[in-house]
Amino acid sequence: MPSPLVFGVLASAAWAVTGLALLRIEASAYGRRALHAAPAGDPAAGVRYAFTGAMRPGAKESVREHLHSYVAGLAYHAGIFAALGLLVCTLVGWSPPGLVRMPVQAFLGLGALSGSSLLLKRLLQPELRGLSHPDDFVSNLLATVFVALAQIGGTVWLLSAMALLIYVPLGKLRHSVFFFVARKNLGAFFGRRGVFPPGGAHGR
Amino acid sequence: MAVDLELKLAALTEATLAKGLAVFRQHLQGAEVSYLNACVRCGLCADSCHYHRAEPELENVPARKLDHIAAVFRAHCTPAGRMLPGLVGAKRWDRDMVRAWVDAVFGRCSLCGRCSINCTIGIPMPSLFRAARRALGAMGLVPDDLQATVENSLQHGNNMAIEREEWVETLEWIEEELQAETGDPGARIPIDQQGARCLFTVNPREAKFFPLSLQASAKVFWAAGEDWTLASDAGWDLTNYALFTCEDDQAAAIVKNLTDAMTRLGCQVLVIGECGHGYQSARWMGPEWLKQAFPFPVVSILELMDEYLEEGRIHVDPTRNPHPVTLHDPCNLVRHGGISEPQRRVLRRSVSNLVEMAPKGLENYCCGGGGGQLAMGQYRHRRLKAGGIKANQIRATGARIVAAPCHNCIDQLGELNKEYQLKVQIKTVAELVAAALVTPLLAEVQP
Ligand code: SF4
Ligand code: SF4
Repeated sequence: MPSPLVFGVLASAAWAVTGLALLRIEASAYGRRALHAAPAGDPAAGVRYAFTGAMRPGAKESVREHLHSYVAGLAYHAGIFAALGLLVCTLVGWSPPGLVRMPVQAFLGLGALSGSSLLLKRLLQPELRGLSHPDDFVSNLLATVFVALAQIGGTVWLLSAMALLIYVPLGKLRHSVFFFVARKNLGAFFGRRGVFPPGGAHGR
Repeated sequence: MAVDLELKLAALTEATLAKGLAVFRQHLQGAEVSYLNACVRCGLCADSCHYHRAEPELENVPARKLDHIAAVFRAHCTPAGRMLPGLVGAKRWDRDMVRAWVDAVFGRCSLCGRCSINCTIGIPMPSLFRAARRALGAMGLVPDDLQATVENSLQHGNNMAIEREEWVETLEWIEEELQAETGDPGARIPIDQQGARCLFTVNPREAKFFPLSLQASAKVFWAAGEDWTLASDAGWDLTNYALFTCEDDQAAAIVKNLTDAMTRLGCQVLVIGECGHGYQSARWMGPEWLKQAFPFPVVSILELMDEYLEEGRIHVDPTRNPHPVTLHDPCNLVRHGGISEPQRRVLRRSVSNLVEMAPKGLENYCCGGGGGQLAMGQYRHRRLKAGGIKANQIRATGARIVAAPCHNCIDQLGELNKEYQLKVQIKTVAELVAAALVTPLLAEVQP
């Protein structure tokens, strides 16, 4: 019989997954445009490129010019995934060996630091603050606290996990699904037109 | 102009507002709804936009423009937006939001798509800006001068309302010039040549203001021995400004001029002259607007010239273009059209010194004239300011000539040339190729 806390986390996770699934289904219900123009390139190659080469600093000026934020973003997401992994381990009652725990702790530490730095950036840069909604601060706080507390575990951490999971479908954390949808579409669009990968359809 | 907009906003009825919102929702498909759910407001797209680079203010950040649209979507189409509007940034569709949309999608965006490739998530933002423009169009809020261009195309078959007689006379005059230039009385500009392989289409600005670029294309066709024709009636103008008003029915009616001309004249290949938005309209959007695949290929004249050179159908001497040349990448041709290499191969063969801009190709900066900006007088000041980024790029190359395979871009670059004292010449790629052509006959005329 799971403890009430574990049950709470499982219920929150079910809420998050169901919410995200419903959001995705709702988006799909808007329909899909049939395409008639003859393709110049390969949409699948475009999708592959969109998830790989197109995200490299070399291909993306926004990354080149904001390497700090890019690295912080990567570390933050690595921390979140590490914390989620740890959460699954806790729920199934498995304790990872020390060899695994060390890098996980490092990811969590860097993730929490990166999350905090991104929050600070959002608070301090006037333009970014102007662009933000309360949702941006709430989402960051919930995720950062979840990652930070994962280092020590315990009841408060499980409560933070519940809060985060409940919030996932309500605000911008829904990008956990829509990032993949958007990037796939971007890749297919540019792949079809022979733009992705660069040189594509008209290279010799 | 701002007064005009305020008058129009004041006159909006609740029914018109509802109609705009309904049209917006109708335009949305699963892809767009996903994009509206995807932005994380990281702000990293800010400097990818030439408007923001030229004037770093919040309203110029692509994500801010997107957020005006997403805010309305959240308020009207999502449970979180209805229940927690303050938290998620949802805003009801009212005159203030309509004003914000007009300013964002007409006043601060050339639909260049540079933000899409720089977005952390990968949101193709122009697709949402187009949905917003379309909704505003349904409410009668497309800027009058832009809409007038579309009306010209619908009524006259070309966007400058050139009558058939004037068009044909212009072509006859250019043909005489071509014959004098080539020394070949057989050098022709065929009109309504039934069964010609290629139907060539041009920007009406060529007939009105840039006959030399039309003459240059004709000279290349002549040198290649191409079997080509122009249409005398509707079907010669490649432009389609409904791409920018986003009124798809009107866009379909305009592109149909081209497909009808192909059928009428029995041609095999539709050749689009040097024009970015014309290429995107005919090659990519046309079949979508008409909801059918075209039974013929649509190619850019750049691809054709590349082929001629590769197959040895024309020969060029690059020393005839001795000055440094740089190449402008029109967004609709390169980022949205997929044509980035043919013009480079052509220029590498035809000019002595091609100096690339940085960044270039897929990462090029918009000149500022796209998205219908050239036809919207009220935003001229912003357009020229945003174009300063392109002006800096050009200056940094040290080139004396800018090759611009797009007549819209040529107009904007011409204005930038004056505004920023660039002291460059702006030419089409065909003009540079035509200047470098080597044929036995030309050798006699121009030893
Ligand atoms: S880069 Fe993309 S995700 Fe980030 S703020 Fe801009 S549009 Fe939104
Ligand atoms: S499409 Fe171009 S002009 Fe419009 S917001 Fe994006 S970068 Fe700026």
